[in-house]
Amino acid sequence: MDFTLSNEQRDWQMTARKFADEEIRPISLARDAIPTAHETFDWEIVKKGSKLGFRTMAVPKEYGGQGTDFVTQALVMAELARADSAISKTFSQNWKWSHLISASCTPEQKARFLKPFVEDDTYLLGKGITEPSAGSDNRLPPAGDAKAGLKLRAERRGDEWILNGEKCFIANAPVGKLFFIDARTDPSVPLKQGTTLFLVPRDTPGFRIGKVFNKSGWRFYQNGEMIFEDARVPHANVVGEVNGGVKKAGGSGNDTTGGDIFGDLELCANALGICDDACQTALHHARTVKQGGQYLFEQQLVQLAINRMHMLTEALRSFVLRVAWEHDMKIHSCNAGLAMNFSTDVVQQVTELYMDVRGTDGCLMDQHPDKLVRDAFIWSHLAGDTVQRMKVARRLAH
Amino acid sequence: MNAKRSDDFAEKSFPDGAQRMYDLHLSAEQLEIRDTVRDFVTRQVKLVVLKADRLDAGDRRLSMALLDQASRLGMRTLTLAEDIGGAGADQLTCAIVTEELAAGDADIAATLAETSRLATLLFGSAMSTAQRERLLPLFADNDRHQLAFASREPGADTGLGVNYHRPVAAQSELKTTAVKSANGDWMVNGVKVCVANAPLAGLFAVAVKIPGRRSAAVLVVPSDAPGLTVRAHEHAWRHGSCGEVTFKDCRVPADNLIADDAAELLAGHEESGRGSVLMQAVNLGIGRAAYEAALDYAKLRVQGGRPIVQHQAIGTKLAEIAIKLEVARGAVWRAAWACDHPDAYADRSLADLPLKTVAQVFTAQAILEATKDAAEIFGAMGVMRDMPLQKYVHDARVCLNGGESQRDAKLRIAEALSGYRRASPTAVAAE
Repeated sequence: MDFTLSNEQRDWQMTARKFADEEIRPISLARDAIPTAHETFDWEIVKKGSKLGFRTMAVPKEYGGQGTDFVTQALVMAELARADSAISKTFSQNWKWSHLISASCTPEQKARFLKPFVEDDTYLLGKGITEPSAGSDNRLPPAGDAKAGLKLRAERRGDEWILNGEKCFIANAPVGKLFFIDARTDPSVPLKQGTTLFLVPRDTPGFRIGKVFNKSGWRFYQNGEMIFEDARVPHANVVGEVNGGVKKAGGSGNDTTGGDIFGDLELCANALGICDDACQTALHHARTVKQGGQYLFEQQLVQLAINRMHMLTEALRSFVLRVAWEHDMKIHSCNAGLAMNFSTDVVQQVTELYMDVRGTDGCLMDQHPDKLVRDAFIWSHLAGDTVQRMKVARRLAH
Repeated sequence: MNAKRSDDFAEKSFPDGAQRMYDLHLSAEQLEIRDTVRDFVTRQVKLVVLKADRLDAGDRRLSMALLDQASRLGMRTLTLAEDIGGAGADQLTCAIVTEELAAGDADIAATLAETSRLATLLFGSAMSTAQRERLLPLFADNDRHQLAFASREPGADTGLGVNYHRPVAAQSELKTTAVKSANGDWMVNGVKVCVANAPLAGLFAVAVKIPGRRSAAVLVVPSDAPGLTVRAHEHAWRHGSCGEVTFKDCRVPADNLIADDAAELLAGHEESGRGSVLMQAVNLGIGRAAYEAALDYAKLRVQGGRPIVQHQAIGTKLAEIAIKLEVARGAVWRAAWACDHPDAYADRSLADLPLKTVAQVFTAQAILEATKDAAEIFGAMGVMRDMPLQKYVHDARVCLNGGESQRDAKLRIAEALSGYRRASPTAVAAE
């Protein structure tokens, strides 16, 4: 057992911490307060972060990226999230799909898509899965039901595929340049046998972005609607095999590098950053604000709250880093999913305790605890709902 | 088992159905009034407040049209005695009405709840007959006339916290003063903050320091008094509205002094933990709204091959929400009934506890959990600002974190358990 970070991991962590403190934290609350969903985004922070490698760090060195390991990625996500969870996610969302490109795309596709991705500071990635009538059915498809799950249709016409349908809540849709799109290529069989993954550039004819969703948390992070009306995608953009299944796990066998599996690590590492922020600010508050002539920290109940916040946060940190290390060691386990579920409980408890420690000054709540509980509540439907928990249980039983 | 013991019980047989004293039947009037309010909420309130542009927690505007309608239905004057133009509703009835209203809109419910609470206190207890005859018609005849109690001052430290089981060293003196002028009028100067209903109030009760007197007094000041200005607090963590009230050489008639001792007037209200439960009824209504929305959706939404309510995971989540609502309502209603029957503490029918605070702590925590579970059932739609679930979660957080902290509330209960009695209130009108 050795918990020491390498010099390279430590360097990335420190660079991320500095960037988070100096660039992200100063804009975080102001961005969160902007009422219109599509105006919360800020390209300047994306460009600045991209120049430091935070957009492309998951791309292997041979393709021009930084080729960081999973432990480094977890550390960076947590550091960025400590200043703003939604901005951290905007960067790491690209890692999720650049993992997928490296793992599952052909050399020709890599040349066409990885190269411009690496070179352009404003090139963001996304993936469209969810549809208005298919959320949980995509995550946990009911056995043998061909009707359940996504409906976006793709039909072959010569060298092209014609896509029709819509996606909703898609991350980075309003700002991305390239999307992975799950579409039905055989609607007569269940999801897993009749779905094909396509690479769809933003300027694809017949493809457009609809409304930007106005969320209560993660306000910086852009989620949008995607509309496909006879959208024409070249056959050369098929990822893997036609009807090759939803490429969530990023390939086959024991590959734990892409898509959903990375997404599990991503969510728990991001939650860790929010918890760190809450712990640090709660402790600072308790040691600087007085009630009845004494620092809040003098009160037993405040000490107990701060103890619990740190206890949960440190347990989460251990879990997150273990999962990242297992990914680096290519150890196949269900721990990523469990850590993701666990992070939901932890991030919500910790931020709620933080809000309790802060309290209201008369009748006004500070924006910071309010933002953290709103951000943490995003985990309920992404990481900790009953479907996400049962899905991990089924992996355990498999 | 023990023959002797059963004989003892036999001797105490209950004549004439005396065992029926514990009675959870609502009266015909209570059921009727509940139906009336429920109908108003379904037909009028929900049509307005569920519009997407009103659901953003950051942009809460009270619907004055709905408040007017509610007033015309009698919900603003509910607690006034019948002989002075009200419905004479007791605390339990008022809690039922408030929950129903809050299931439609927490802000309308909280506004009317504060007015109801104060109507009893001011017109019912504090004012002399002459004062009431002079001031009541202004209130009774104007649908837009709400009531407010201005007590908190900027920088006031009202927390229990470090003062647990200790007398407060020095009661911080009010800085708002009322000085008697040559013609006998009061000249009021000072600033109050976080005053519930301030932007809507027609009449303010104001806790003031009269130089030379030991205890804080209470004056009533009409909102149009020269020298009184109100500034609404934006994004306040309180349902309804609240604001800052400034008195600058504000002249108030001599006869507007309604209490020489504010603490005495409010005794049995906030500090005792046995006061008004109407804000807890608002909290229940928020949980109800979330529950009803989630149940409807779970019956309609099909995933996994059937309506999601038919999945164990969702069915039991709804069951847990229902359990929390039922148990919380039981606690709130009992505390309300205790307000209406204070003798029930003395005759040992009720536990010697601050039952309002007990209900407050349980309800606030349980309803936050319930609204979060309800929102989770909606998936991503649970966090969208043009959908109601995120608003219910926010509203529940306002109940949990917006007033007295859970920590302070539990400390108050703990003091009561151990028999600690505070010599003087640490905070007046903590709500």
